[in-house]
Amino acid sequence: MGCKEKSLNTMGEIRKEKGMKMYPEELERALLKVQKPGRYVGGEALSVVKDKKDVEVRFAFCFPDIYEIGMSHMGIKILYGAFNRVPYFWCERVFAPWVDMEAEMTARGVSLYALESGDPVKDFDFIGFTLQYELSYTNILNMLKLAGIPLRSADRTELFNIVVAGGPCACNPEPLADFFDLFFLGDGEEVDLEVMELYRQCKKEGASKGEFLRRASQIQGVYVPSLYDVDYHPDGTVKSYTPKEGVPATVRKCSINDMDSAYFPDSFPVPMIEVVHDRVSVEVLRGCIRGCRFCQAGFLYRPFREKSIETIDRQCRDLCASTGYDEISLSSLSTSDYSRLNELLDRLHTWTEQQKVSLSLPSLRVDNFSPELMARVNSVRKSGLTFAPEAGSQRLRDVINKNVTQEELMRTVTVAFREGWTRIKLYFMIGLPTETMEDVLAILSLGQDVVDAFYQCKDKPKGKAVEVSLSAAAFVPKPFTPFQWFGQDTMEVLREKQRELKSKNPSRRVSVSYHGAETSFLEAAFARGDRRLCAVLEKAVEYGLRMDGWDECFDFDKWMEAFAACGLDPAFYASRQRGFDEVFPWDHLDYGVTKGFLMEECRRAYAAKTTPNCREKCSGCGAGCFKGGICVGGR
Amino acid sequence: MGDVKNVRIWFQKTGAAKYISHLDLTRCMARALKLSGLPVWYTEGFNPHIYMTFSMPLSLGVSGLRECMDIRLTEEAGLEEAAEKLRHYLPQDISVLSAAVPEDPFDAIAYGDYELRLESEAPECLWLAIQELLAQDAVLVKKHTKKGEKEVDIKPHFTQMEHKAMPGWLALRAVLPCGLQGSVNPSLLLEALSEHKNLRPYVEITRTKLLKKDFSDIR
Repeated sequence: MGCKEKSLNTMGEIRKEKGMKMYPEELERALLKVQKPGRYVGGEALSVVKDKKDVEVRFAFCFPDIYEIGMSHMGIKILYGAFNRVPYFWCERVFAPWVDMEAEMTARGVSLYALESGDPVKDFDFIGFTLQYELSYTNILNMLKLAGIPLRSADRTELFNIVVAGGPCACNPEPLADFFDLFFLGDGEEVDLEVMELYRQCKKEGASKGEFLRRASQIQGVYVPSLYDVDYHPDGTVKSYTPKEGVPATVRKCSINDMDSAYFPDSFPVPMIEVVHDRVSVEVLRGCIRGCRFCQAGFLYRPFREKSIETIDRQCRDLCASTGYDEISLSSLSTSDYSRLNELLDRLHTWTEQQKVSLSLPSLRVDNFSPELMARVNSVRKSGLTFAPEAGSQRLRDVINKNVTQEELMRTVTVAFREGWTRIKLYFMIGLPTETMEDVLAILSLGQDVVDAFYQCKDKPKGKAVEVSLSAAAFVPKPFTPFQWFGQDTMEVLREKQRELKSKNPSRRVSVSYHGAETSFLEAAFARGDRRLCAVLEKAVEYGLRMDGWDECFDFDKWMEAFAACGLDPAFYASRQRGFDEVFPWDHLDYGVTKGFLMEECRRAYAAKTTPNCREKCSGCGAGCFKGGICVGGR
Repeated sequence: MGDVKNVRIWFQKTGAAKYISHLDLTRCMARALKLSGLPVWYTEGFNPHIYMTFSMPLSLGVSGLRECMDIRLTEEAGLEEAAEKLRHYLPQDISVLSAAVPEDPFDAIAYGDYELRLESEAPECLWLAIQELLAQDAVLVKKHTKKGEKEVDIKPHFTQMEHKAMPGWLALRAVLPCGLQGSVNPSLLLEALSEHKNLRPYVEITRTKLLKKDFSDIR
């Protein structure tokens, strides 16, 4: 009995028969040796595959972390849809391979590829990165390296392989300035397309890369770092930024005013493997009314702009109808600040229940948690509830403008206990400006108060014990916040505070956890770094550093070696207290919010004075220059 | 349960889809079923979900050419139409072959018909090595189970293999136990080759179909 010819047709041939090639053939042999090979093969439903003949500009959207994280990100879904809507643009997805796959690819000489076509990233016109967190910077350089693309912008001389980036960390892109051709500041839905059109035009005209960049720099929201010269004072601080070749002295971010008419996708590639946020996610609003002084996003995304109930409802329906998910997350910086939240939830319930779709809110605030709200979102599991008081003492909460009171927190947890919850998780930061050890220990007493509230609650769940977990992250001062002048606590001070928290824990019902001081220190150095850090990043990648956000890869000593090799001190960037007169590496970038306002907020912080939120009263932050959202729509 | 009808969906899991786990497969199926608009029956209880039951799960990396799962429909729906709708919403490498009324229960499944394609520059030599291996009194390999490692003799399962040498490849066909009473993973042969013969050829494994005790196709 011989083998049957036809059934021996294996995968390779089946794929060829169907005319599909999603990942390089050579990788077939590697995929079974790595963890979660499903990350590297593409082939998802609703991924966009175009005929190359019809495409003029190819964009590789690179997420500098692994597939499961990148595929959970909202921005990539919006831009993927917006780009691919244009017939002659084709946007594909690229994620950072995990270290096991990276080794296999390197060993086999396979360069970084895009998931839709399987084509090498070096074949793309644009290579675009999203800058979500500082600890992903080495992944960016490593991805360029794996793609075989020269790291430095100056070494890429053709009008091709244009390396661009957007996202929150683009507000101080200086540590990456030498590698990128241009950065997008603010909302990308429109300006990205404009720049792609300009590229298409320049290609047709046979223009040079320099010409393209000069023309791009005239578009609002586009920052071309190579067209600005930096001078430094002898003490290492910035003296000045000088624009060259007629580029604007300051670059203002883009802000979409009308969220209802802004592009939002009606489909996105649905991952075959489980990802971190494996559900439909619809953005209900952009910006935040709160003005918490530690929160960069709260200032970067001003003004606060809501979508209408009709728009949100339509977008939820469309995405459920295209993806097949049975869970919707209503996402934003603070969804419970949506002005008509209950009305929105009621509207969605007119069809979600019947279609067995559940709703979830990613962020709950202490001050508007109610049984009525909880009854409307059915996916909150009874097991645990999370709130973020951010600081233990009322004084410190006033310093950071987290306008949550002890009474509100106690009322909220009591409601939660009455409704059957027994596990409460509270998020805090340590190392905040003006913080004393007394403030740190107030975190523990707050935890104890929550435990006491449980025992005092008459309608608490019977036969269950309360569990309160306190999580303390180290504060990282960020640009465009009132704390951008603040010298971060040194690692020694942070560790001392962590030790106190751990050792003075008063109750068996309370558990304390904290995050590494070392990663926060590094994050702080890059958050407020300048162009000289480009050399450190390059060195770090040379030393094999990447995936710094992952404990198993993070190597602090190697990082310190990289700084030393470049003659730079990370403490200069992280721990140094700045004066109000200092010129920052991001001062020529304009996010609407003025430096004067941030100074005023900083002074109020040190005086423990709170500032009302945008809905209560306009504080004149400067974001009104965009003439959108809450700044013009009344409160 | 009311008036519900069992329907067996026959499908292939190949290409990119062979790299997703069984749990991922069930999630893909649930989404496609939801999108299909078919009148699927939901389990009752606190957290209702679409009723799906699968035959024997495939190992990660193994292709399946004739896999099946059972669903329940609460209303009359044409079988061809059901297959067509589901086909439309699944990723390209999970392809629906047909929908049919189940004839055999899943516990009737006893064997899997596997094809192993081993990469080799000298396939006849590789076949000789395999024959040598199987000529041993016993072929012991360590099997990783939940209770730890144990040694098993795989020889009895692989003696009936067919082979065919092709340029660059050795193709093998093995019918192996695969059912609720116990299964033998075809990759154990590769482990044995590695342990006993120090040979580690690249292999592609395909399960072509599932068989009953009498070696006839499950239907």
